[in-house]
Amino acid sequence: MGKVEFDKINRSETVKLPFMLDFYPLEDEKGTRISQFFKNLKEGRLTTTKCTKCGKLLWPPRIVCSNCLSNELEWVDLGSEGELYAFTDMRLGAPLGFCEDVPFCIGIVRVGDVLMSTRIDNAKYDELKIGEKLQLKIVELQDGRVFYRFAKLKEK
Amino acid sequence: MRKVAIVGGGATRCGKREATWRDLVQEAGKAMFDSLSNLSPKDVDSLIVGAAQPERSAFQAHVAPMVAEYLGITPRKVLARTELMCASGQAAIRYAYACVSSGLSDVAVAFGVEKMYMPDMAEAQTNMTCVLDREWDGVNGLSAPPFFAMTAQRHMYEFGTTKEQMALVSVKNHHYSSLNPLAQFQKEVTVEDVLKSLMISPPLQLLDCSGITDGAACVILVPAEDAKKYTDTPMYLAGSGQANIGNAVGNLASLTDWVPLRMAVEEAFKTAHISSDDIDIAELHDCFTISEIMEYEAFGWCERGKGGKFIEEGQPYIGGKVAVNPRGGLLGCGHPLGATAILQALDIMQQFRGEVPKGRYVEGAKTAVAHNLSGPANVHSIMVYSR
Repeated sequence: MGKVEFDKINRSETVKLPFMLDFYPLEDEKGTRISQFFKNLKEGRLTTTKCTKCGKLLWPPRIVCSNCLSNELEWVDLGSEGELYAFTDMRLGAPLGFCEDVPFCIGIVRVGDVLMSTRIDNAKYDELKIGEKLQLKIVELQDGRVFYRFAKLKEK
Repeated sequence: MRKVAIVGGGATRCGKREATWRDLVQEAGKAMFDSLSNLSPKDVDSLIVGAAQPERSAFQAHVAPMVAEYLGITPRKVLARTELMCASGQAAIRYAYACVSSGLSDVAVAFGVEKMYMPDMAEAQTNMTCVLDREWDGVNGLSAPPFFAMTAQRHMYEFGTTKEQMALVSVKNHHYSSLNPLAQFQKEVTVEDVLKSLMISPPLQLLDCSGITDGAACVILVPAEDAKKYTDTPMYLAGSGQANIGNAVGNLASLTDWVPLRMAVEEAFKTAHISSDDIDIAELHDCFTISEIMEYEAFGWCERGKGGKFIEEGQPYIGGKVAVNPRGGLLGCGHPLGATAILQALDIMQQFRGEVPKGRYVEGAKTAVAHNLSGPANVHSIMVYSR
């Protein structure tokens, strides 16, 4: 019987934020069939899909109408103004990738005829009110991907 | 359809456990089989494992055969894992119920297990953020506390519910969990404690929220006609209901009226031939204090918007209108996702058998419900149990 060898091994790779823990979706046409949403965002337009067969407005955007199963959908503008339906503040328990942003406001806004969740920028929790108007804002990540947020209107 | 009974079960202590996912499995499995003299792992023909996120928290998929291997079970009828997030255990019971009821299985184990504590708390929180629609809701930092915080905000805004009323739910459930040796939190709390606890997502504070919890539990389901072979005191599955509307946070039926819960309640009451007045024990999904308040309303014990007043009057205590969460609830016992519904079922069985400590014993209880919600409260699952 030989002597049992002890050795040290290296696992030196550092993983920053792997794909599986990246909250932001793949946005270009190689990764998604709703890349038009993100192209529109880059032009400052928040859009979603509407079924041309049954007329159903669909949020989030998709490729098949969940009301009539048609795949003939068109892109429609939702506008750039949101009405605040509910909101809170992330104080503790933020996920990886958002820890440095704490505290930050999160809300549900009514935009046109849809309700959606959103980050709310330029806002303090104590100063927000249910029903107040918010302005669409587009944020760009370091890698060029974009996403929507809403922001408190600046004081006139 | 055959009538189905639960004849036994077992559980681990819940909390921050110095144990792995598979340690928890073995602890609960042993507790169950040790409690049954006429039933061994070899008799089990089916195994359903409720587990919400083993891929994330234990880096392990294909978990049902792993549980089978560790417990010496050789499934030959049905083997599956159920994932329905916070209701994964309820889904396991429901699946096992369907298997036994249909005649597909004669002895089915419904198992629930979750390992939630991770060395890095942010990673544990990240796991919870893919529960909602990750690309459209999770991406905004929306996880359970902020979502239920907004639910609470709207309930306060529309109905005048107060933070003190919400705190009373936590006080009640911690009172009962202080009498539960399996509970994660075995200390009483006061309204002041709740209102002084750390702010998580306003208006929700730490003691408004159920914990991050490790735990496992299991129960055995057999046809009712076979139940007395294994125990003198089986518990029967008397009816059930489950409903879902929408998924993305913007597409829910309502933030302050849980329509799918009302649908599930209606179905459960219809199949069990009961009304809300017949329920002696309700193990409700109090993931947050506001949840339990809204559940009083949806189950029909009080009017819509009056849930806060209902707890203020002491109605959900033992001796009140209905004993809600005499186990200690998720707030007191912790919420090991896949295990929670199984822990509820097990405690109801022990209530029926008179095996729980005096201060949380519901004397003469004959009918009980166990309820779980999952996701942004768009899914509600209910099981009705009877003696």
